[in-house]
Amino acid sequence: MLELFSNISLQIQRGETVAITGPSGAGKSTLLSLLAGLDLASAGSINIAGQPTHQLDEKARAELRSRHISFVFQTFHLLPELNALENVILPLEIRGTTDATDKARSWLQQVGLGERLDHHPAELSGGEQQRVAIARAFATEPDLLFADEPTGNLDEHTGEAIIEQLFQLNRDQNTTLVLITHDNHLASRCDRRLHLHNGELTEWSTAGVAHD
Amino acid sequence: MTNHSLLKLAWQQTLAANRLPIWRALLLALTVAISIATLLAVLGDRLEQSLGRQTAELLGADMTLRGGRPIDPAIAESARSLGLETSGVTQFPTMIEAGENLLLISLRVVEAPYPLRGKIVTQPPLERIPEPGTLWAEPAALERLNLKIGDQIELGYATFTVAAQLNSTPDRGNGFSTFSPQVIINQQDLEATQLLGVGSRARYRQLFAGDPAALKQLEAQIRASMASDERLITLDNSNNNINSSALNNASRYLRLGALLTLLISALTIALSLRRYTLNSRDRAAVLLSLGMTARQLQVLFLLQLLLAWVACALVGTGLALLLEQFALFMLGDLLPQPVPLAQPVFYGLGAALGLVSLITLGLPPMVAMSQVSVMHLFRRTAAPTTLGGRVLQLVAGVLLTGLLMLYLDDLQLTLILIASLLFTAWLLGKFGAWLLRVCAFALAGKHTLVRLLRLRLQQQQRWHRMQIPVISLLLALMAISLWARSDLMDRWQNQLPEDAPNHFLINIQPHERDGVDQVLGKYQLNSNLYPMIRGRIVALNGEPVANAFTPEQRQHNALNRELNLSWTSEMPGHNRLVEGSWSSQADGNTAHISVEQEFANTLGLKLGDTLSFTVGSIPVDGVITSVRAVQWESFQPNFYVIFTPGALDNMPMSYITSFHANGEQRKVSAALLQQFPTITLIDIEQLLAQARSLIGKLSDTSGMVMLLTLLAGLILVFTTLSQELDQRRYENALLHTLGATPQQCRQLDLLEFALLGLVCGGLAAALGEIALWFIHQRLVLIEPVLHPSNWILLPLTATALFTLTGLLARRRVDESNSYRLLRTLS
Repeated sequence: MLELFSNISLQIQRGETVAITGPSGAGKSTLLSLLAGLDLASAGSINIAGQPTHQLDEKARAELRSRHISFVFQTFHLLPELNALENVILPLEIRGTTDATDKARSWLQQVGLGERLDHHPAELSGGEQQRVAIARAFATEPDLLFADEPTGNLDEHTGEAIIEQLFQLNRDQNTTLVLITHDNHLASRCDRRLHLHNGELTEWSTAGVAHD
Repeated sequence: MTNHSLLKLAWQQTLAANRLPIWRALLLALTVAISIATLLAVLGDRLEQSLGRQTAELLGADMTLRGGRPIDPAIAESARSLGLETSGVTQFPTMIEAGENLLLISLRVVEAPYPLRGKIVTQPPLERIPEPGTLWAEPAALERLNLKIGDQIELGYATFTVAAQLNSTPDRGNGFSTFSPQVIINQQDLEATQLLGVGSRARYRQLFAGDPAALKQLEAQIRASMASDERLITLDNSNNNINSSALNNASRYLRLGALLTLLISALTIALSLRRYTLNSRDRAAVLLSLGMTARQLQVLFLLQLLLAWVACALVGTGLALLLEQFALFMLGDLLPQPVPLAQPVFYGLGAALGLVSLITLGLPPMVAMSQVSVMHLFRRTAAPTTLGGRVLQLVAGVLLTGLLMLYLDDLQLTLILIASLLFTAWLLGKFGAWLLRVCAFALAGKHTLVRLLRLRLQQQQRWHRMQIPVISLLLALMAISLWARSDLMDRWQNQLPEDAPNHFLINIQPHERDGVDQVLGKYQLNSNLYPMIRGRIVALNGEPVANAFTPEQRQHNALNRELNLSWTSEMPGHNRLVEGSWSSQADGNTAHISVEQEFANTLGLKLGDTLSFTVGSIPVDGVITSVRAVQWESFQPNFYVIFTPGALDNMPMSYITSFHANGEQRKVSAALLQQFPTITLIDIEQLLAQARSLIGKLSDTSGMVMLLTLLAGLILVFTTLSQELDQRRYENALLHTLGATPQQCRQLDLLEFALLGLVCGGLAAALGEIALWFIHQRLVLIEPVLHPSNWILLPLTATALFTLTGLLARRRVDESNSYRLLRTLS
């Protein structure tokens, strides 16, 4: 059997921002899927909010995800036939939240799209789409947010603004942020920076020096 | 998530999907399937109620004996002694005249009690049967003859008052008579008309009704002594007339078309759902990442399918109702009126069938889709085909077959049809793909593009194997229905030279012969009157029929009914001597006969053979001295057997002739009928028009179904082309980056479509010719002909269809962003 990861031990505190970097094919996405409980590790244990995901069945893990976790994707993944507001309402409705519309509207206002509620994704720029996605991710008030190359499809300037927003919301909401990125500049803004290489996870100090 | 918001999302999702070609293909296929299934169910039920399972009300009796000679009165006697009701009916064609108007009608002569079952509905309402001296006529007759209730009209030598219009009546008889307007008179008036001469084409039937046990007993009695040209129609086997057998053939053809449409639509639905769910995996993963459960996801897509179904069911059923009206309008004259309404459940059958197939076909890909992981959003994974998915697909296939069997109500037929269709399709697919490769190979040296084409053919092979059989089969079916009809019409039309006879005179009594000749002469009509007498072949060279002929030969028409025999000293001008020499007079006591070629060949008759006949009860022998070739369709009086003069003297005979009347000469009909009211004059043009309209109506109705079938086929082609659009797009992008121009890529596609069209059209033409050959040889009995235009038209049509659907599907292949495409698609 192929061993993807060896000897990985990692603890992330509530409210921390963590960047995971590494070359393509290093297993960043796989690591994210394990952390988010989307996949099960063949050995070892992962706890989220005190719950051992490796001991939960698929249904319980889905339940755990729905209560604690949100995602932001590189390619936004908004539903094209829903407008901005409806896209943000959707996860709230899935959870049966009562004042979904008000909440969604206020989140869109927070990301600066209060004027564009009824625009469909096709009518929004890439940056705006990602902001809708961020509003959608935060609307469910997650404890943990996974962002996979959130600026990967955006130009530098727009990416910068998106990141600013992400960090701002993270601070305001005390959300834990796990970021997968190629972008060293972006990684350097995080509280912690982890580098995945050859199945090993090493933590860099913010100064950029390896630290065991 | 509340049901309401789930429904709302499903609604939004459906609206968005409506913009996708693949989803539209699904909707179209479903609509076509629903409308054809509904149409066939409703129409089938109505036809079946009115014809298929003949009811006592339509038959006018519980049992009917039909024959070409008066029914033995002893049979009616024994029916009465068994306590059964019975009644005799005589029916024959005759020309009726009112002022300027002449009309070929079918005259039904009845005696009370009549009908034994069911009811004659007249306007004004009258009871029982026409009073002596009155007649009842169908609206078509009254209209064409410009008659009103109360008018007087001559029939033969008797005068009748039109007492009522016949709105509906059971027991319309069988054969061609049912297509002619009918008139009913009382048996007591028949003699006075003197219409029923020796040569009249009368058909006789005896109706019976009463206690089932007594009927069974009578049936056994009748069957024991039934003549070969008699038919016993019971309620269990009433499909015994031309009318319903023509409709049965049409309905079988329609069923084949419908089955094909349903299978093709099912394939389209399955393919488009597969594509749609594959394309929706991202969406499914997003919804899962937002917290939706797999169960909710399944419900969401199920709701979407239900929404689609509701729309398709409404449109499809509506379309079916329109087509039903059209079909009934077309077939109206052929059906006893009023056509009974279909049972209400049949109106919902198509929609129900659509729902069940949609769910059955939709579940496997939907379950597969809901099993997608959120991880799909981070890392593309190929859709896994799980064992569960395979099993689900298999179950769906079996369920669908079962459903079709239930629907078509004929287990064996459906299984055979499905099996033979699948086998033919498989064979066509294999053979077609091979032909494609051969063509590409042959062209390879000619053009650089062709080398790329061979690559393309390899990649698209699995879709070609689906497209080729579908399009070839559909085109072949269409060609068959088109050609079978026009072959027959052409045949009739071409056989008729400009001056071919357009009137037949039969039932001319010997004493009328000279008078008729004179009238014809007065109008400068050139015609021969042939004597005609009916006789039965009983032996060959002294051997009775049962021994002299093989069982196959004994199937020949000529041995199973009374033949029309004639005599003349000179061979009819329109016959051709093939063998022997024409004999103009008997050799002493030995009569000579001349026989028709095909008849002689089938029965193995040779010159010098002696054929024995009975005419009435008198035996007559003849020695074959010549064989003639006869064109049956020439509309001249033609005979299998012609005697030398003298042999048939003093036997009950009549004369027959035909002539071509034009312009002023047409007035001869009225003159003849006035002077000789009892002769039967048949206007061939009216007869042909009636036959043509019958065939036209049947084939228009089936053409309507064929159009739907073709539409289903085109949707399937579109769907299959859309299936691998990504592949095609990727391939084109790759070709671009390798230096091909967008134009070359387009040419490559067009070349592929043209080759496909060529192969499909060729296969369809071959298939059509084979099927037509069988139809002509076995069913219609006309000389098979090749249809060279088919070989050009069909490939052209197929190429056009492929190019059209191909360009439609290919519209989305955008060649301008090759690099980006390559990055995102690789």
